[in-house]
Amino acid sequence: MAYPYVSDHEVRVLSKHFGDPSQRRIDTYVERGGYSALKKAFDMGPEKVIDEVKASGLRGRGGAGFPTGVKWSFMPKESGKPHYLLCNADESEPGTFKDRELIRWDPHQLIEGCLIGAYAIGAKHVYIYCRGEFFEANSILARAVEDAYEKGYIGTDIMGSGNDLELTVHQGAGAYICGEETGLMNSLEGRRGQPRVKPPFPAAVGAFGMPSTINNVETLAAVTHIVANGGDWYRGFGTEKSPGTKLFCVSGHVNKPGNYELPLGFPLMTLIDEVCGGMRDGNALKAVIPGGSSVPIINAEEAGRCTLDYEGCVEVGTMLGCASVIVMDETADVVKQVRRMVDFYAHESCGQCTPCREGSAWTAQILKRIEDGRGTEEDLDTLMEMTEQMVGTTICVLSDSVAAPVQSSIEKFRDDYLALIRRGERVGAA
Amino acid sequence: MSDIPFKNPGWAGNTGEFELTEEQVRGDDFVGSRPAHGGHASGAGTMPYMLAAKEPDAPLFEGEYRDRLDKILSRYPTKQAALLPALGLAQEIRGHVSPASMDEVAEVLELSSAYVRGVATFYTMYNKRPVGRHLVQVCTNISCNLAGADDVVDAFLKYTDTELGETSEDGNFTVLEAECLAACGFPTCVQINSRYFENVTPSEVPRICEHLKAEGE
Repeated sequence: MAYPYVSDHEVRVLSKHFGDPSQRRIDTYVERGGYSALKKAFDMGPEKVIDEVKASGLRGRGGAGFPTGVKWSFMPKESGKPHYLLCNADESEPGTFKDRELIRWDPHQLIEGCLIGAYAIGAKHVYIYCRGEFFEANSILARAVEDAYEKGYIGTDIMGSGNDLELTVHQGAGAYICGEETGLMNSLEGRRGQPRVKPPFPAAVGAFGMPSTINNVETLAAVTHIVANGGDWYRGFGTEKSPGTKLFCVSGHVNKPGNYELPLGFPLMTLIDEVCGGMRDGNALKAVIPGGSSVPIINAEEAGRCTLDYEGCVEVGTMLGCASVIVMDETADVVKQVRRMVDFYAHESCGQCTPCREGSAWTAQILKRIEDGRGTEEDLDTLMEMTEQMVGTTICVLSDSVAAPVQSSIEKFRDDYLALIRRGERVGAA
Repeated sequence: MSDIPFKNPGWAGNTGEFELTEEQVRGDDFVGSRPAHGGHASGAGTMPYMLAAKEPDAPLFEGEYRDRLDKILSRYPTKQAALLPALGLAQEIRGHVSPASMDEVAEVLELSSAYVRGVATFYTMYNKRPVGRHLVQVCTNISCNLAGADDVVDAFLKYTDTELGETSEDGNFTVLEAECLAACGFPTCVQINSRYFENVTPSEVPRICEHLKAEGE
């Protein structure tokens, strides 16, 4: 049995049971060693769990790459208030499709990680905020949670340890911005999912005004294995600064798109040429977006030098983000695709901050004008100037995410824009 | 749907050596049917709320549905936090969230009608007006777009003889473009009510639509 595609390069830790429906069943999960990490965590005590996660060097898999153990240590020790752990399963960054797979193929791995995390930060209640569209995955997760309650892995006096933990699956309703941590908290509280001004940071004032920590699905799933096998074991994969394995979501013009779990620091071109079976129809590589639509686009030359870790991506002027590798071949219409991404941000802007609300809408309209062959070279200057004012001027980084593809594509694929502007010629098919 | 030999019956099948039934992939064999009272309280707020059957005039918070709302309320420190699941419940029963439904939700959660409208209109998954039995949402964002999602949209519009957002004359279909559905490795992804259909090509569209009509749920 093989999940759509697998590769010999892979190190399958989190994705080991993708494509195996029996893994959803709690008996199978326990037979395969499941919930032993939770037991181990209870024996270790919260501080040692945090130390182990710190030692592993695990960095947040939601995009920002902040060290998870450090984040946990920000939680107050004795606040006298309820603490909450929130799991961010509102996966909606264009190009990203790992969390849905983690939830639907191995729900207990995530549940166990959530329970360990909650125990470590002194939370009694975990909320998994699931993307609304994931009805199928959410139903699988809800059933798995029910099974875990029934078998005593969630609830009161878990496995006779005296620890009580509750877990609730919360379903979103279709808003990209709810993937932003404070937007998610507002949404969980029954508000519009508009991000909050920081400070105060969630560890001080989070969900329901209480100290909260929020982690991505993949981060919490990895915690299960780190506690089970130790931080040193996890450091055995990846690079010094970016340890561990990571799910790479490859989409676009490759022969075998899909999720591949690889050690961080993996060369981008090896991913495309060997893991993904090369470019579609043997076409030449034109551009890659290595971290989801919010990171700068790179050209083929930069892709050739890029290694897939947090630092390696920065070196070629982009970011690893959530490792959503979007590959475009020579037939790709970069202008159209950038316009489509900006349309997305204009649609998803929550409307609080003027630079984002107005900037994303205007950027989308100018790009559409260029795409329709009615643009001028001045438009490119306007776009650069406008998007510059959208960086670092708003509550959250959605606005910055508009600037990234626009600025990088004008810099690197200026000829594509000029062909449309000067001759009305569209470069590429789709 | 397993009787019809789809190339990719709603999932990334047949692309590798992936030999599973559709039920196994979707998890139907594991989840089974979910009761109207929502099952265990921990997951009572996660029920699929885009269904083919719609009863625009049915009561909202009665019987098993009231039980479900109470379960949801028991999971949060505030009543307000139940707002999204409660709006979802309204849509599940009636098919869309009308201003009247919003008022009812406001009343049961002790919120103002204006507040509930403000929240409901923020989220795209609440249908603010009636839609067809099958709400077809085609992802046209970058990864699907690179794979030709625009042609898939056109194929749905052609089959249903509608414009985007319009409901077909027989009341069966409303076609919309959707933002990234997080299935980028299996393009084009189409969400139809609560299900995902992946690796959809234009030529498969008529067969998918005909099957949905025949399913008659």
